[in-house]
Amino acid sequence: MSTDIARMRNIGISAHIDSGKTTLTERILFYCKKIHKIHEVKGKDGVGATMDSMDLERERGITITSATTNVEWADHSINIIDTPGHVDFTIEVERSLRVLDSAILVLCSVGGVQSQTITVDRQLRRYNVPFIAFINKLDRVGANPFKVREQIADKLGHNAVLMQIPIGLESAFRGLVDLVTMKALYFDGPEGEDIRVEAIPAELAAEAAEKREEMLDAVSMHSDDLMEAVLEGRPTEELVRAAVRRGVVTRKLVPVFVGSAYRNKGIQPLLDAVVHYLPNPSEVENRAIDLDREGAERVLTDDASAKTVALAFKLEDGSYGQLTYIRIYQGSLRKGDELVNTRSGQKIKVGRLVRMHADTMAEIQEAGSGDIVALFGVECASGDTFCSPGLNLAMTAIYVPEPVISLAIEPVDKNASDRMAKALNRFTKEDPTFRTHVDPESNETIIQGMGELHLDVYVERMKREYRAEVKTGMPQVAYREAISQKVDFDYTHKKQTGGSGQYARIIGRLEPLGKGTYEFSNEVRGGRIPREFIPSCDKGFKAVMKKGQLIGFPVTGVRVVLTDGQYHPVDSSDIAFQTAAQGAFRQVYAMAKPQILEPIMKVSVEGPTEFAGNVFATISQRRGTIVSSVEDGTFSRVDAEVPLSEMFGYSMVLRSLTQGKAEFTMEFLKYGRVPPHIAELLMEQHLEKKKKESQK
Amino acid sequence: MTLTVKEELIKRSPLRILEKSISGGLGKGNIGVLASRKGVGKTACLVHIAADKLLQDKPIIHVSYASRVDHIITWYEDIFKEIAKKPKMKSTLDTFDELIRKRVIMNFKQDGARTEQVLRSLEAMIVHANFRAETVIVDGLDFAQAGPEDLRKFKDFAGRLGLEVWFSASLKKDDPLFDDRGIPFELKGYLDIVDVLISLQLHGDHVHFSLVKDHDRLAPKDLRLKLDPTTLLIAKDVRARAR
Repeated sequence: MSTDIARMRNIGISAHIDSGKTTLTERILFYCKKIHKIHEVKGKDGVGATMDSMDLERERGITITSATTNVEWADHSINIIDTPGHVDFTIEVERSLRVLDSAILVLCSVGGVQSQTITVDRQLRRYNVPFIAFINKLDRVGANPFKVREQIADKLGHNAVLMQIPIGLESAFRGLVDLVTMKALYFDGPEGEDIRVEAIPAELAAEAAEKREEMLDAVSMHSDDLMEAVLEGRPTEELVRAAVRRGVVTRKLVPVFVGSAYRNKGIQPLLDAVVHYLPNPSEVENRAIDLDREGAERVLTDDASAKTVALAFKLEDGSYGQLTYIRIYQGSLRKGDELVNTRSGQKIKVGRLVRMHADTMAEIQEAGSGDIVALFGVECASGDTFCSPGLNLAMTAIYVPEPVISLAIEPVDKNASDRMAKALNRFTKEDPTFRTHVDPESNETIIQGMGELHLDVYVERMKREYRAEVKTGMPQVAYREAISQKVDFDYTHKKQTGGSGQYARIIGRLEPLGKGTYEFSNEVRGGRIPREFIPSCDKGFKAVMKKGQLIGFPVTGVRVVLTDGQYHPVDSSDIAFQTAAQGAFRQVYAMAKPQILEPIMKVSVEGPTEFAGNVFATISQRRGTIVSSVEDGTFSRVDAEVPLSEMFGYSMVLRSLTQGKAEFTMEFLKYGRVPPHIAELLMEQHLEKKKKESQK
Repeated sequence: MTLTVKEELIKRSPLRILEKSISGGLGKGNIGVLASRKGVGKTACLVHIAADKLLQDKPIIHVSYASRVDHIITWYEDIFKEIAKKPKMKSTLDTFDELIRKRVIMNFKQDGARTEQVLRSLEAMIVHANFRAETVIVDGLDFAQAGPEDLRKFKDFAGRLGLEVWFSASLKKDDPLFDDRGIPFELKGYLDIVDVLISLQLHGDHVHFSLVKDHDRLAPKDLRLKLDPTTLLIAKDVRARAR
């Protein structure tokens, strides 16, 4: 195993659904000799691709969790994270991006830049991750890598440069021309393992020369030496590679590679590209937050002798017990080392240290800075930072969106109930966008997440992995309530009849807050309310806003300004002021013109143009707004904003309407006001529910 | 009766001057064309016309043959930002999100998109999706490639669905572009289909609008409008009045 940091790569494979990521990963494992047989996704052999370690993923042909794996290629150690493609699971993608140094963006040579490609590209940009592009499926009917390269340039705004051109396309796709070496490559043998290098076929010579010139033009912008060499007419392979590498690492250049993972063509050159062009961990600057210095940022060093800093980015409960995947950012990790979890302050001792391959693993003694490994038997949550004693750092918090959908679940019997609790405990630790609580009124267990499919998958996993059979209710949208108008309050809470009394008076106003959920501002002067009771008021408002009076959902977007009040030297207390705050809020809430808000999703539907009309109609029936429709020959995409509450079951509708030829993705966009007629309906339902509960 | 800020804004819009000059507006079933060389400001004018309709709560469809949709979205944002700069307008434009809900952008790739298909999609949007637009703006149609038959199809479609349709036409031939009546040589073959034809010409640093055809009248006329070079909004041309 290589421990030299310059010979290490941490890469992710990101793409739109069905671009062939899993198939590609499978081939990479095969050529790196990690597996000895290739299995297809939904393969006829019934085994399934090696990276999809969960049964569920095998059955559905999608990749949900990002299993990480380590391979070796050309004396380099490459950690690969196979990231999920569906938007419902973007937290996984985002988390992977945080720990990776670079990525391969996989595109379909027919579909090109699709809605999810755009999402993934945005994420790569947010975390400043350098990447190379791979245009897959060149054997498909309609394959056009040149058009896809143009789209990477036009739609994503990248300086995309073809590094190879195909020899033949669609069913005639035979191999490729490497524009750096100017040689033709063919992939022989039953699994494409024998590479045959030949001269460029005569009919492609002119095209190859032209594309090479384009490539050199673009690449030489990143190296004066190369530019000079080009002008003199003798650019060397080394100069070209160095310049491409510089362009990639600074995110100014995206070299584009082509092939067909399914047909075993173009994978080994892609692996060479990973080694040649993608940065090693020491070339990427990582910052941590210094918890001892009020969150000042600190740049980490890759020095192996420095104190250790590592991030737990994924937990997994597998057949070997609890596994914690960590990325080491500084220092090194040895068996027996002592580390501190800087969130909880807990000390841990490094026990078994392993390097993971999708479903198997290898025990190791030590891992260095930049590496991704897994620990056994460590109690922590994902996102926790581990440091050597004496350091108190946190890796930048990973952005976690609020859940937008919830579902009531009920175990079928006592056994299932215990197992369900165990499963929920695990899932919530693994996935911060998945949450659970027990509703105090209905006593139901509620799970919350980022979409219908997201929750479906967890319910399935409960059944399969924990044998916890549960009944599910109707999915419920996470509504919010918000005020739309400023309103003053003046409220006195008084209870002075015998015993110790309660007295608190508060005066102030509620204001709608454009953005943000809650703000508390204290403008009380001259000790009219003693300082120790100000937090009590804050607490009281926060508590009462957990359930709005319209439909019982949290109230957000409120700024409370406390301006004046009164207290009683004996009868005022923490609880009296809390109660006063709650009373004040309830009293004036209706006057602040409260509204119901609902999550609005950004929906993208892609498919053949012939169905565009049907798609328009389905969006409009769902109270959606079509933002744009793009038609590119036979392919079309509709971007729309649709309330989440209207999107239940949409995949079924779309499938039957388009004979399964269209697909859609959605992600949370914003909260928007519910139209009055629907708001009324929701309020009626809420009243009904309350009535029923009080009758119980 | 006092007018709201929005009503005031609509009333004072320089586009009212344009409407007055073309007998009250383009009118249902009619085709209007803004013609100029590339880069003079046709898209800005079309977006201003569309924004003016949106301000009046009238839905519009923006058909574009450009390569990217996000550029168009930015155009609208910029124009609404400019409008919002007018005094007192800020509060009203909190409804910007509401206004935008009345706009649909439909993008077609020039080489792949045949007019029949474009019209089919437009009809699906208006009829199937029940998006009742009365104004459609079409930016970037290549007139030379499409030919008069295609424009005729647009006109028949506009008549059938009761739409007014504004086009931009890029003039690409060598000088002189216009004949002595101000008619662009390149658009002569389309003249009987076009109801309103306006040409935009760059004179020094300002863009000058002239009305070439107004429904049945062929008489070149200065519209006393200009394109403000900083805001890219259509504005009254004070100098023209002085002339």
